[in-house]
Amino acid sequence: MARLTGTGRIADDLYLIAHHEVSGRSFLHPRAIGLGLAGALLAELALPDLIRVWPEAIAVTGRSVPIQDGLVRAIVGQLLAEPERHPAKDWLQYLARTATLDVAHRLGRAGYLTQGWSRRPWRGERWVPVDADCAFAPFYRVRGALDPAKQASVIGTTVAGLAVACGLGSRLAQFGPTGALRHLDESVRQLKPDLRELIAQTQAAVDSAVLSHRV
Amino acid sequence: MFNAQTTNARAKSRSRMSQELAKDRLGIPSVLFFVLAGVAPLTVAAGVIPTAYQTTGLTGIPAAFVAIAVILGLFAIGYVAMTRHITNSGAFYAFISRGIGRAVGVGAALVALLSYSLLQVGLYGAFGPNAASEAAAHLGLHAAWWVWALGAWAVITVLGLLRVDITGWVLGVLLTAEIAVILAETVSGLLHPAGGQLTFGTLSPADLTSAGVGTFGVLAVVAVLGFVGFEQAPVLAEEAKRARRTIPTATYLALGVIAVVYAGAAWAMAAHAGQSHVVAAAGQEGPGLLFGLGNGFLSNAAQLLFLTSLFAAALAFHNVVWRYMYALGREHVLPAALGRTGGNNIPKAASLAQSATGLAVIVAYAIGGWPPMTDLFFWLGTTGGFGILLLLALTSIAVVAFFARDGLGESLWARLISPILAAALLTLIVVLAVQNYATLLGVPAGSAASWILPASYALVFVIGLAWGALLRARRPQLYKAIGLGAYAATGQLKPTATEPA
Repeated sequence: MARLTGTGRIADDLYLIAHHEVSGRSFLHPRAIGLGLAGALLAELALPDLIRVWPEAIAVTGRSVPIQDGLVRAIVGQLLAEPERHPAKDWLQYLARTATLDVAHRLGRAGYLTQGWSRRPWRGERWVPVDADCAFAPFYRVRGALDPAKQASVIGTTVAGLAVACGLGSRLAQFGPTGALRHLDESVRQLKPDLRELIAQTQAAVDSAVLSHRV
Repeated sequence: MFNAQTTNARAKSRSRMSQELAKDRLGIPSVLFFVLAGVAPLTVAAGVIPTAYQTTGLTGIPAAFVAIAVILGLFAIGYVAMTRHITNSGAFYAFISRGIGRAVGVGAALVALLSYSLLQVGLYGAFGPNAASEAAAHLGLHAAWWVWALGAWAVITVLGLLRVDITGWVLGVLLTAEIAVILAETVSGLLHPAGGQLTFGTLSPADLTSAGVGTFGVLAVVAVLGFVGFEQAPVLAEEAKRARRTIPTATYLALGVIAVVYAGAAWAMAAHAGQSHVVAAAGQEGPGLLFGLGNGFLSNAAQLLFLTSLFAAALAFHNVVWRYMYALGREHVLPAALGRTGGNNIPKAASLAQSATGLAVIVAYAIGGWPPMTDLFFWLGTTGGFGILLLLALTSIAVVAFFARDGLGESLWARLISPILAAALLTLIVVLAVQNYATLLGVPAGSAASWILPASYALVFVIGLAWGALLRARRPQLYKAIGLGAYAATGQLKPTATEPA
């Protein structure tokens, strides 16, 4: 079921980039990858204009559009169920608690991951890629955002921007030319405001966690 | 009916989101433990206090702890009030940038970095000789102090790269044991005073100026050194359950606990040895001045815990230093490489930079053959404490300046009166300390160390000011974001965003 072209979803590609393509081991602190994937799930909603993102609130704007994916539909449900406004950073923290496992399950259903045997059962579920090539393929999809000689896609740029925000900058830089991260900054600047705000909020939440000794 | 049900369901889900977020946040005990971990009570009680008696030759140390607790209490009123109004309360430099100005903030940032760095490397000077004597006494291992210091350095370097904080229950157990041991030693010492008569002389305010007004400056730096770490609570403001209550409560509790524990221990040492003999006894016994207050078992437990306390403090300050570098690297005040993270979100460059400093200092002292307990631990430690004193004075001024533009609903007492009083008192202490730095270090007046160490802050401050001015001229965008912290880059992207002041 797993294909080299991927699922086309932002959080799925970010998950695969943040984990080893064979062992499924995370390259990031659990809190950081949780925040990154929370940002990615919200980006999946911001991309088709289903939500608007400001620092002090996130609002659902496209209620009438049917949403295929159960995970992001559930997030829209949660956003709508809140009677009062919460700042974007609170939404990131809230969604970050479960985002990693949620996305792993979604990738599992799509055939990209399978539940592995855990050597340390107290650490929780362990997910491993079904096919290493498919798990590594997202790196090729984000290269456009890193290389001035290539064409950047919106999804690729968003995935790369979020990856750098949650701490994968040095890993990503290995797969681009010199000055790749500087070029990525420029690519991110071309994104629409909601996606830029999500990337900035994710970066800030991860930085804040590092500085307050939580990561 | 339908409406009521909907409202009910909404209220439930609201409380669930708030509850879920609150579950993950820190309460007063967690913040208090975090603060006291940096304070490392036994490091001060067994390390700083006896060495301070010895090098300064002054006996007013117990009274100084009480006096400084009162002054820091005044300081904290404005400090925690400002914490409520700035999102990045991670560090003194953020307060100073927002209150006085960004260029001064950059100068303060470098002063803070130097202070915490000196405090951290100084701890190797106490760990080395004490580990060496413990190992010689109990394990029959004989090695020079610097071998043990390098051992601790290596472990801290590795733990720093793996980003291990001693937190949670390990820290809780160690801290509780440390405080229990200090209290037990204190009670035991007070029950057995020299000459069978308990005296209160060292607690008297008169002892603060026993050898002239300058004495107070010296004693105050020693006392501030003991309190270093209390200022860390606002770092956790973003993670606290109820920042408005949790952070102030933890700060005042920490001040109270530290004042009682240290003043008590210092008083017990002087009472047990006799006020007129305590300076000589400290010179002979060192940390044994505290350990000798109790019986054999208590003494052994205290000696072991002293080592774990020194190690935990060295690791805690290592983490403080790299976080400072990381924050400054992110804001491009320091090279951006220090603000990057590698695998598992560990800022390797910042952590290694502090490790390199530690290695250089240990090797220099080993080659120079200088006494580690006085010249490394106490000199660099007190100089670190002096740096924190400078920052406390500047921060008080920053609080007044910050609220002068807009009171933001804070009381006159919190935004004006207490910070002005704190600023005046802290500035007075700074002046007295500079004038009497030789007494503080226990060296003849005019010797090189007595002016090089305090002058190093003037140097880094001026470098910081110049760098800040350069940033303002060359990279105004970066300059504007100094002190705004992690969330500086957010919110500027949407069309209706208001630019930060």
